[in-house]
Amino acid sequence: MALKLYDYSLSGSCYKVRLLLAFLKLDYAREQVDFYPGRAHKSLDFLELNPLGQIPVLEDGDLRLRDAQAILCYLADKYDKSGQWLPRDPDLFGTVMMWLMFAGGEIMAASAARLHDSLGYDLDIAAARQKAHAAFRILDDHLTLRAIESTRWIAGDHPTIADVACFPYVALSGDGGIGHEDYPALRNWMRAFRRLPRFHAMSGIPEFV
Amino acid sequence: MAITTDPVAINHWIACGWPGKVPVGGYWDTVLLGQNIRVSRPQPDIYEAAILTAGALGRRLPVQSRFCCIFTTLGQDPRPLPQIDEFDEPDRRLINCGSVGVNTSPYRMIENFLDMAHFPFVHTNILGAEKKTEVVSHKIEHRKDVDEIWATDCRFFQPAASKAATGGQMTDYTYRVMSPFSIMLYKNVHNDPGRNDAICMFVQPKGEAQCLAYMPMALVDDVNTTAAIIDFQQTIFLQDRVILENQRPALMPLAPAAEIPTKADVGSVTFRRWLKQMGISFGIYEKAAA
Amino acid sequence: MQINDQVEADRWVGVALDSQIQSASSHPVILNGRELALWRGESGPARVWDDRCPHRGMRLSFGFVRGNTLRCLYHGWTYGENGHCEAIPAHPDLAPPKTICASTHGTAAKYGIIWVNLSATRAAHVPDLPNQPGWLPVRSVHLRASAPQVLDGIAEFDYGEPARTSMPAQNACVVVLGSDTQLFFALQPIGLDKTGLHVVVNESGEPQIPRRQRLARQVARLRDTIEAGGGGVWPSPRTL
Repeated sequence: MALKLYDYSLSGSCYKVRLLLAFLKLDYAREQVDFYPGRAHKSLDFLELNPLGQIPVLEDGDLRLRDAQAILCYLADKYDKSGQWLPRDPDLFGTVMMWLMFAGGEIMAASAARLHDSLGYDLDIAAARQKAHAAFRILDDHLTLRAIESTRWIAGDHPTIADVACFPYVALSGDGGIGHEDYPALRNWMRAFRRLPRFHAMSGIPEFV
Repeated sequence: MAITTDPVAINHWIACGWPGKVPVGGYWDTVLLGQNIRVSRPQPDIYEAAILTAGALGRRLPVQSRFCCIFTTLGQDPRPLPQIDEFDEPDRRLINCGSVGVNTSPYRMIENFLDMAHFPFVHTNILGAEKKTEVVSHKIEHRKDVDEIWATDCRFFQPAASKAATGGQMTDYTYRVMSPFSIMLYKNVHNDPGRNDAICMFVQPKGEAQCLAYMPMALVDDVNTTAAIIDFQQTIFLQDRVILENQRPALMPLAPAAEIPTKADVGSVTFRRWLKQMGISFGIYEKAAA
Repeated sequence: MQINDQVEADRWVGVALDSQIQSASSHPVILNGRELALWRGESGPARVWDDRCPHRGMRLSFGFVRGNTLRCLYHGWTYGENGHCEAIPAHPDLAPPKTICASTHGTAAKYGIIWVNLSATRAAHVPDLPNQPGWLPVRSVHLRASAPQVLDGIAEFDYGEPARTSMPAQNACVVVLGSDTQLFFALQPIGLDKTGLHVVVNESGEPQIPRRQRLARQVARLRDTIEAGGGGVWPSPRTL
């Protein structure tokens, strides 16, 4: 087994993968990509690895995968024999997939706001923040109902890759001027997630919980 | 955003871009102290800057290209750029980390750069550790001949002081505040204690609480890839950024009772006194007092 | 210099549900534009302070709890429940002077809601409700609407059955549905066009989980209706 992650420390999408690798106690090699300022993810060399020009990319032996959500599914399916992170029960599986798509879709507006504020990306920041708030409200509503059942996690009684996929850009949203004041259920979920064994922080998410 | 009327803030050379931001034959529009400007690049090594008013180019501004950055000034009598010899040493690696936006006052950024006490809490297990939090006394002086603030004999326990470091060590620092908008540090080279890495931060104040930070470095490191060095430096700076954007008020308070310093804050106290003495008002909380 | 030097009215305002402020946590709360840190130690009641560390102004809502102290994220300065600074990590042997103190505010927990009074006098009382015990949390929502708009929205809402609305105090509203169900709404003015709404329920026979989830959904619907400018229909709680 030789896992290799094409990685950038400040990327929330790469962080999703680093988190699951840590939760699953998997060793891996890091290949740092000069995402900013070098834009190495748009270089011809990198486009051979991922024609979409996006990080992360994961290699496992001869297999090469792009897309953080796809990588989470692969790692959980292959390396988590307990099935906790990717439940096989059809109802739970479907629910996890639904929120995984949400993490790669609607929540990415928070990533856009962060790229605008910190790295100067030219985009409609008001629209990005508004979309992120709309997404956060949907997740906060969901977690509010879950909390009434005394459940902390997005699906089922344990953290799953749905939590791993949703966490980074919710937690990093302050970097894009999106506060957590309006989302009490999100705050409690994030704190529970940060207290998981083998959790590690990244820049923008405080180490101390 | 209106241009500042503060003559003290205006009379500085201020970073307004880095080469990767300005394509050859193209330009990038930015803001300096509330003034819209255009930085253009007619030839690979030639940069120009001008005031931009309602989309039209106005007065030409002087430009200097130095320390991997492009500098300009809105003032008639700017303070000269500092002398940083390390950038001219032939065996140095000059690394430019682009620019990072930070929504706070430029002085909050300088003050944080000058601060060691936050290492264990903000740069946990990299530049500091929770079990060794003490800031031992160090020397701070306002060097009147160059009008710079220097902090010397700074020592702090660091678990992973740089990309080149392995294992914890006491690290020696020298800090040098070169203007209200620029600061640098000298830090032991990991394998060559006789030399220092030079790491700078030039702040471009777009508005009173909207800044860009440029962090060029002149390093002695023949081991690490540029990607890894940049990744390390950005990791540190984005850890600081959370703090910087959540200090209240964002503007720098200079009244002595506004915030409570301790002995570890002598650098901050000296820096704030220096700002007060120069009478700067841009980015300062107390408008009447400045 | 005082950073927050406005004179605050002597009034209790609900700012959160007590059940949502878990032990060992710190939260950001905004009241009339003023930033506050709402935190709870590993045990004991929640507390509300100004959201800035006296040292460098860092927001204490970003801080972390150890024991019953709140520690600032920036330099680890450690504050006890009375607001006094107890430790400064940069100087482990120093006993911090008593003058270093966070700005603390009157805080109370009643009906499952955390109340804050920012005034120095604190002669006012938390609003009185007819039923003291038996209140259970429904949920908090945050609306893009002013407090008066939210009050109007609560009163005008079509609850699908006779509803009696009363205001026991400013920024507090009781809606009685049928003979048995009381909903209590505590309003938190955040800004001119933003309001927090903290909702608890009281009815005979403790509402079970599905019932509370249903009520929480309806509060979200009330939120969306008010933001859309009215016109939503609340299905009768009797039929839930």
